Amino acid sequence: MAAIALPENLDLKAAAPLKAALIAHRGAPIEIQADEVRRLGGLCLQVLLAARKAWSRDGQDFSIKGPSEAFVETTRLFGAAGVLLSAEFQGAES
Amino acid sequence: MDELEAIKVTFFQECEELLADLEGGLLAMQEGAGDLETVNAVFRAVHSIKGGAGAFGLEPLVRFAHVFETLLDAVRGGSVPNTTDLAAVLLRASDILADHVSAARGLGDVDMAASAAMAVELAHCTDPSSAPAPVAAAPVVEDFAPAPAVVAADDAMDDDDLGFIFVPQTITVEAQAADAELESSNTWTVSIRPKSDLYRKANETALLLRELNRLGPIKATLDDSALPALEDLDPEAAYVTWTVTVDTDQDEAAIREVFEFVDGDCELEITRGAGPVADPMASLLTVADAPIVVELGAPAPAVVEAVAPPPVVEAAPVAPAPAPVAAAPAAPAAPAQKATPVEVPGPGQSVIRVDPERIDRLIDLVGELVINQAMLAQRVGEYGIAPSSNLAMGLDELEQLTREIQDSVMAIRAQPVKSVFQRMPRLVREVANMTHKQARLVMDGENTEVDKTVIERLSDPITHMLRNAIDHGLESPEERKAAGKNPEGVVRLAALHRSGRIVIEVSDDGKGINRERVFSIAVKKGLIAADTQLTDEEIDNLIFLPGFSTADKISDVSGRGVGMDVVKRSVQALGGRISIASRPGLGSTFTLSLPLTLAVLDGMVVDVAGETLVVPLAAIVESLRPKPEEVRPLGPVGSVLAVRDSFVPLIDVGLTLGYRDQSPHPTDGVVLLVEGEDGSRAALVADAIHGQRQVVIKSLEQNYQQVEGVAAATILGDGRVALILDVDATIAMRRREGGAPRPTEPSLIAAE
Repeated sequence: MAAIALPENLDLKAAAPLKAALIAHRGAPIEIQADEVRRLGGLCLQVLLAARKAWSRDGQDFSIKGPSEAFVETTRLFGAAGVLLSAEFQGAES
Repeated sequence: MDELEAIKVTFFQECEELLADLEGGLLAMQEGAGDLETVNAVFRAVHSIKGGAGAFGLEPLVRFAHVFETLLDAVRGGSVPNTTDLAAVLLRASDILADHVSAARGLGDVDMAASAAMAVELAHCTDPSSAPAPVAAAPVVEDFAPAPAVVAADDAMDDDDLGFIFVPQTITVEAQAADAELESSNTWTVSIRPKSDLYRKANETALLLRELNRLGPIKATLDDSALPALEDLDPEAAYVTWTVTVDTDQDEAAIREVFEFVDGDCELEITRGAGPVADPMASLLTVADAPIVVELGAPAPAVVEAVAPPPVVEAAPVAPAPAPVAAAPAAPAAPAQKATPVEVPGPGQSVIRVDPERIDRLIDLVGELVINQAMLAQRVGEYGIAPSSNLAMGLDELEQLTREIQDSVMAIRAQPVKSVFQRMPRLVREVANMTHKQARLVMDGENTEVDKTVIERLSDPITHMLRNAIDHGLESPEERKAAGKNPEGVVRLAALHRSGRIVIEVSDDGKGINRERVFSIAVKKGLIAADTQLTDEEIDNLIFLPGFSTADKISDVSGRGVGMDVVKRSVQALGGRISIASRPGLGSTFTLSLPLTLAVLDGMVVDVAGETLVVPLAAIVESLRPKPEEVRPLGPVGSVLAVRDSFVPLIDVGLTLGYRDQSPHPTDGVVLLVEGEDGSRAALVADAIHGQRQVVIKSLEQNYQQVEGVAAATILGDGRVALILDVDATIAMRRREGGAPRPTEPSLIAAE
């Protein structure tokens, strides 16, 4: 089980390093620590979504652990909570 | 440099001035100057910056300036009340505008999140109801409703911290259910297709969604069908699009306004009604079983809020609660406290821009002229021409003219200290924010003029002293309240001319220097002996000792183990002095005195071992001829001079500078009693005094190299080069060599 921790600021500058970090752990189950995240931007969201797909295509576990309030809130705002977050953080789904 | 670049350089020079005008005007508005003239001047400044930036395609700058300008236009038109709270918001906006200008210039970065947040704040101040573009609209009656002010005040209070920090948002399920059941008659479907440029320009979809959420509850559906596989994904390209339904009582224009700053970088489609939601996440595999539709609660002002309770740190009194402001719209300006006249140059004022190098060259040339004139006068004297002759009188007139030219040329390079002072309000705001203190900066004498060479080096010591005053001087608002003071501390920065020098004073109304603590720290750090008897003044001056820092823990603001000694050293390097006066419970005042120019110097011309030297007049306390009984030997080679009731070390300049090996007896020469910058006194022995003269300073470093004990050089009337003595270095050299006795204790009496 590989684990990576997301930085505080997932903005434009963080997108490329995030992609590289994820690709490096391809092929094994991954656990992503999101407790530090204070800001999640659209580009990093895309990377996470693409990674989510890649891991499920590989049949490996992909989980985001301990998401910060900001991470949860922004993911919901993006309409991506269902894909990225475990059920307890998905909040009110329609 | 091509032509466009040259114009750009000019533009940025203008920006500097415009930003200064802007800040000046805003500060006046904050002080209660609500007149149209001031607002107009402020508007003009932002408008000019925007116009120029547009010409150079500096998009982020233009966009920000546009929002800023729109608000100012509304203030100008009277549709937004001109309150001091608004001025506080505008001041923070001007800080960000300045950042944008610096960034466009390639100096530093803009915190785009803060900028975007500020843009939103400004837009809301302009029109809290987010009605259509308010630029051209004539003031509508509704606009005078109290609502705008309340929102503006709210924003001013809440969005104090510009950091992009989320605040935990509670979404109650009941509320959502209620919302869902509510058949909204006004549902909009917004299709957002960000382009890669949107992200590249540091805009953010999350921010747009959050803004939409302010208009009413949103449901965002994400479409990632265009998202490539992870390995093929360009991390900086936009793939994902959103379809958002908004329930709002606002109209289409309000929705469109949310996207105003991403115009062109985002494909937007706004349709009325719920609209067909595109098959969401079609490409997602099994995981995407659950619908990825999210509903958010009631519009929450979640755009930018500080997590910590935001300390109110505006540099002006801010109303404690929004309530009083709500009543304000009736009176457009805040109760006039002190209407300061604003000096914002009108458009017609003509200013010539000159490359500073040309002025420096002119000053050099005038220096040569002064020297040449002195040489001429000396030659004429040598030929024995009577002082009453036409030639001699003509020469006198020439001398007068030369002096006048010199003064005028120096005046060209003289600048008001305003350029340095103007950076300080922002500094005070930021430092106060960081230290959670309330501080108001009062500035005085901004128009005091000093030579450009001095101005450039004033900024650092002033910055350091101000930081020090807020960080160490002012108490926290609670402590202040407990001490019966206004929770908002006042820091005063003043400049004035005093006896041919410029004096800068930084004072605070804080707690003053804790002398016991300063003394114990100095003892602990081994700077003084524990049994040393010191006067209050001497204790205060301990903080200037190298290695002294009163902060127990090193703060971001002032003190990284370097303290006031650094300020002192940089001030001394300018030929200045610094001193401190402190009253417990009432505050401290730092006084900095500097020469007005670094180009000319009043000096005493003396003879030492056949060489001519110039001793800076500022350092000389008195000159005297010692009597034999006043000279007392001390140690193997040294001797001291009894001057009235104290002894000062005698230093033979000729010996120290290596002109001679054997000192003549001090009674054969003259003694110049000098005072070093640290207040220590010494008696310099010279052979003869030629007189006082104003000399043109020629840098030794630039023309040769640094020589210890010599500050600079000059050219005398006879064409010879004379060295200007560095009094402090001379005293230090002599002390180090041990030839002269050390003062018994580090002398701590500051000059002035």
